[in-house]
Amino acid sequence: MFDVIVIGGGHAGIEACVAAARMGMRVALISMDKHTIGRLSCNPSIGGSAKGHLAKEIDALGGVMPKIADASGLQFKLLNTSKGPAVWSPRSQNDKDLYPLFAQHMILSTPGITIVSETVAEILVSGRTVIGVLTEQNEEIRGKRVIICSGTFLNGVLWTGQSCTEGGRIGERASHRISDLLESHGLQRGRLKTGTPPRILGRSIRYEGMKPHNGDEQPQPFSIETREVRNRLACWATETTPRTHEILEEGFERSPMFTGMIQGAGPRYCPSIEDKISRFSDKSSHTIVLEPEAIDSESVYVNGFSTSLPQDIQLRGLRSIPGLEEAEILKYGYAVEYDFFYPYQLRFTLETKAIDGLYFAGQINGTSGYEEAASQGLIAGINAALSIKGEAPFTLQRSEAYIGVLIDDLVNKNTEEPYRIFTSLAEYRLLLRIDTVYDRLLPHGHGLGLVSDHTRRIWERQQEMDTLLTDRVRTTRLTATQATEFLAQHGQDPVIETVTLETLAKRPTVPLEHALRFSECIPLSVLDEHPASVHRVQTGYRYAGYIENQRRDVARFKEFESRMIPEHFDYSRVQSLSFEAREKLTRIQPASLGQASRIPGVSAADVSILAVYLR
Amino acid sequence: MIDQRETICALATPPGTAGLAVVRVSGAEALSICGRLFKGRGALSDAAAHTIHYGWWGDGIDSVTASVFRAPHSYTGEDVVEIGCHGGPFVVDQIIDSLTSAGARVAEAGEFTRRAFLNSKLDLTQVEAVADVIHAQTRAGAQTAARQLAGGFTRRLSELRQTLLTALGYLEVELDFSEEGYEFVSRPAFLETLRQATVDATRLAASAQSAHILRSGFYCAVVGYPNAGKSSLFNALLGRPRAIVSHIAGTTRDYLEESLVEDGYTIHLYDTAGLRSTEDTIELLGIQVTSSLIEQSNLVLVVNDASLGFRHSDALIADIQSRYPTVPIAVVQNKSDLSGTGVLASELGNIAQIPTIALSEQGVSELRAYIAAICRESTAAIHDVLINQRQAHLLRVLIGHLEGASGALAREESPDLIAIDLRSAVRVLGEITGETWNPDLLDTVFSRFCIGK
Repeated sequence: MFDVIVIGGGHAGIEACVAAARMGMRVALISMDKHTIGRLSCNPSIGGSAKGHLAKEIDALGGVMPKIADASGLQFKLLNTSKGPAVWSPRSQNDKDLYPLFAQHMILSTPGITIVSETVAEILVSGRTVIGVLTEQNEEIRGKRVIICSGTFLNGVLWTGQSCTEGGRIGERASHRISDLLESHGLQRGRLKTGTPPRILGRSIRYEGMKPHNGDEQPQPFSIETREVRNRLACWATETTPRTHEILEEGFERSPMFTGMIQGAGPRYCPSIEDKISRFSDKSSHTIVLEPEAIDSESVYVNGFSTSLPQDIQLRGLRSIPGLEEAEILKYGYAVEYDFFYPYQLRFTLETKAIDGLYFAGQINGTSGYEEAASQGLIAGINAALSIKGEAPFTLQRSEAYIGVLIDDLVNKNTEEPYRIFTSLAEYRLLLRIDTVYDRLLPHGHGLGLVSDHTRRIWERQQEMDTLLTDRVRTTRLTATQATEFLAQHGQDPVIETVTLETLAKRPTVPLEHALRFSECIPLSVLDEHPASVHRVQTGYRYAGYIENQRRDVARFKEFESRMIPEHFDYSRVQSLSFEAREKLTRIQPASLGQASRIPGVSAADVSILAVYLR
Repeated sequence: MIDQRETICALATPPGTAGLAVVRVSGAEALSICGRLFKGRGALSDAAAHTIHYGWWGDGIDSVTASVFRAPHSYTGEDVVEIGCHGGPFVVDQIIDSLTSAGARVAEAGEFTRRAFLNSKLDLTQVEAVADVIHAQTRAGAQTAARQLAGGFTRRLSELRQTLLTALGYLEVELDFSEEGYEFVSRPAFLETLRQATVDATRLAASAQSAHILRSGFYCAVVGYPNAGKSSLFNALLGRPRAIVSHIAGTTRDYLEESLVEDGYTIHLYDTAGLRSTEDTIELLGIQVTSSLIEQSNLVLVVNDASLGFRHSDALIADIQSRYPTVPIAVVQNKSDLSGTGVLASELGNIAQIPTIALSEQGVSELRAYIAAICRESTAAIHDVLINQRQAHLLRVLIGHLEGASGALAREESPDLIAIDLRSAVRVLGEITGETWNPDLLDTVFSRFCIGK
């Protein structure tokens, strides 16, 4: 008898089982093949815009993805640094051979996890409560909680051109019966698709004339626990030509997307090359980035060329791209179509409303992306453990974390296409910066037992440094002469009075670090050791007005969230609600008027009517 | 929680003695309840929608007309009967008593309008407009509020909101795909959009003061040194003796308020205590009430005793001007027949001067016309909308955000920072039109109703 059974060893499954086990649970991780645990089945990369925020939040809560990404990283880069601090986001290239090895090592070294190499045939439910699973070998595995992290394996179908095979990933089988059984318990399912580009042989690429994409000069790790990371390689950029587009268009009539053979909705945000060509027909070229998949491999990922076109077309298309004239394909691009379950059927803990003790995480909830999956796995694993312990659930609000935004969106907004996180989805994103992530979430992770005392101390030292710096900035004064000299170095007008560093810190064009160095109010060695603290304090000053503005918005948000709607409220009694609103409110059963106001199809007038009715 | 299924009734016209009164009944049982009490040619419950019937109410309570509206084509969206009866508390009370014993209940304040809102007959700005119609004291005010009931105001702000939402959308796409380096929004065009939005919002907000005049009337304070003839002028303007007039300086203590209607505007006149001058200092501060009256006035009439010289009150005028620079002033050269010269002293800055002889009608009609003209001028900003205080406040908040966004744009800040103010602007606009939900709004809106609406 296990406490928690996790089905699937992808990014969601890994976080779920490690979190539950660290919280003292006996965990079974069921995977068809244990060697596939932790695979990077699409691009060899972690993070990116907004996804990097999720990765940092997972770290602050004590998850494992950031540590594995650091260990297997080949290149590290902070994106969007030319934009405001809210959207700075880390990304790494990773070794696709090393990543699963580190992931497997992480699982094997976590006490309490048993790996079961089996295929799950059925979920066992007694009444309305999950009691375990049945394997294809007809073996019953009992567990108090079950977390399904099945990725694309539920009725997965792989497509290349018009040829299709069943499977969840190339070379791996799909699961069938689980979907039907869940549906028989009243869970509503849908169909989605996602795709992956071809992989080509590195030595068949001619790199001359391509633009290198290098990592940052001072690469930063994802995890607070990682001391140092290094860049080991470069990626290369090229672009498609009008000729490429002509060739690919020839294949459209044999494409499963255009012939309607694939029914599932695809992601708008990570479109296939055929989608891009047909949708942005005015663009004569699209960027292609060649990403080496591993140090010890010749395989190169063709980022930007996701496709399910027939093989001959893929090859001819690729060879029309500068530098790829002689490219050899190791693995053709393909699309996978799979079942998901509409996530409005979930609680904020990711437990299904229909079956007690059953949790869903990852692509089964209609999301796309490793980081989105890992975030959900972590929340599901934590809450499965908490519920067994009889403790209050752990959920995050939109104002606290991108993870909160993600899950709130899943529950309230029905996905009709794969859901990907974006910074624009976070209303309070200036507060949800990566540099505030540990202040926001690390105490939670520590309280749950997922962050060690040692790591907590690292964070506390950072906080002390922030406090010290803030204190110096506030109290250190420069005489008019000193300040004028300093400002002149930055091309600024002289001043006639004494100024504090605080005043200077508010000027957008004067780096705080320079002011600190100039004033010598703190030993230079200390500054060198804590660039992150300097950055954080500077951001706090420079954007003080905006931050204050967002704090006020959060206060309003919290107030709306506190206007509760009674449980099991009968919306049919409020005749004046629009038909659509009544249907959606009945289905989702929001806990508060604030939540109700975020449900698409529920207008402000509907919420007002409800508010008037409830008082 | 209010029960919508009950049938409600209330007096819909102002309480008190009047020629006629209307009692409104709304709800699923409205027709059957009234049908039992109304004795006319046919059964009321069979009456067609939008018909009016003459008959007797109850056991000879009163002869009445009953107007029948059927759901959803009525004010509340429910079945409605409006009973026109003779005015006066006695008849009305008896009709309401008969209705409640027949199964209706007396409506809460604002309940008719709340039902109209719940039944999607009105949006929130329209609900507010209803409240404004009730509160409107002037003809012009009632007209504008009626136009707002038709939804014009909502439409204008919705258009503005849509423009900003589109711009915001493009900014977000720039951020989401920042690695591709797109710039979807041309910065100069965007700045222009924001500038135009600011101008629109400022114009709307500026009309708030004029709206206040339309809704509450025009405030005009009559001030001057003791015994300048303020009270005589006050009486002359009213056309009836109201203030006690004597030759003893300081007869008027505190102040008197009366209203007159001129050219469709309600004008509130305030007769104030005389402002004394002791040596060179003016004892303005000592007379707090007058001081605050001046501050709230739309026009201050300084009554000067011209028999003592046309410039006799200059010190007082200068003092008022320095204290209340935004309040318009006009000088009434009273007793101008007694002035030695008979000619107005030329310059008084750009302050208007009107000669009068308070004890006769001479000049008073000109003075009235002058006040009405000022009144018309100050409400000229209003075209088709009536801004109430809540909306004016939100418009000012909106302007702050629009300026914030323009500033960030001009400083070439990153889209994520520009977006903060832009999002707030969109939200505030939504709160004005009711497209964004805000719980406080409902509280304020529905608290402004009297029972019958």
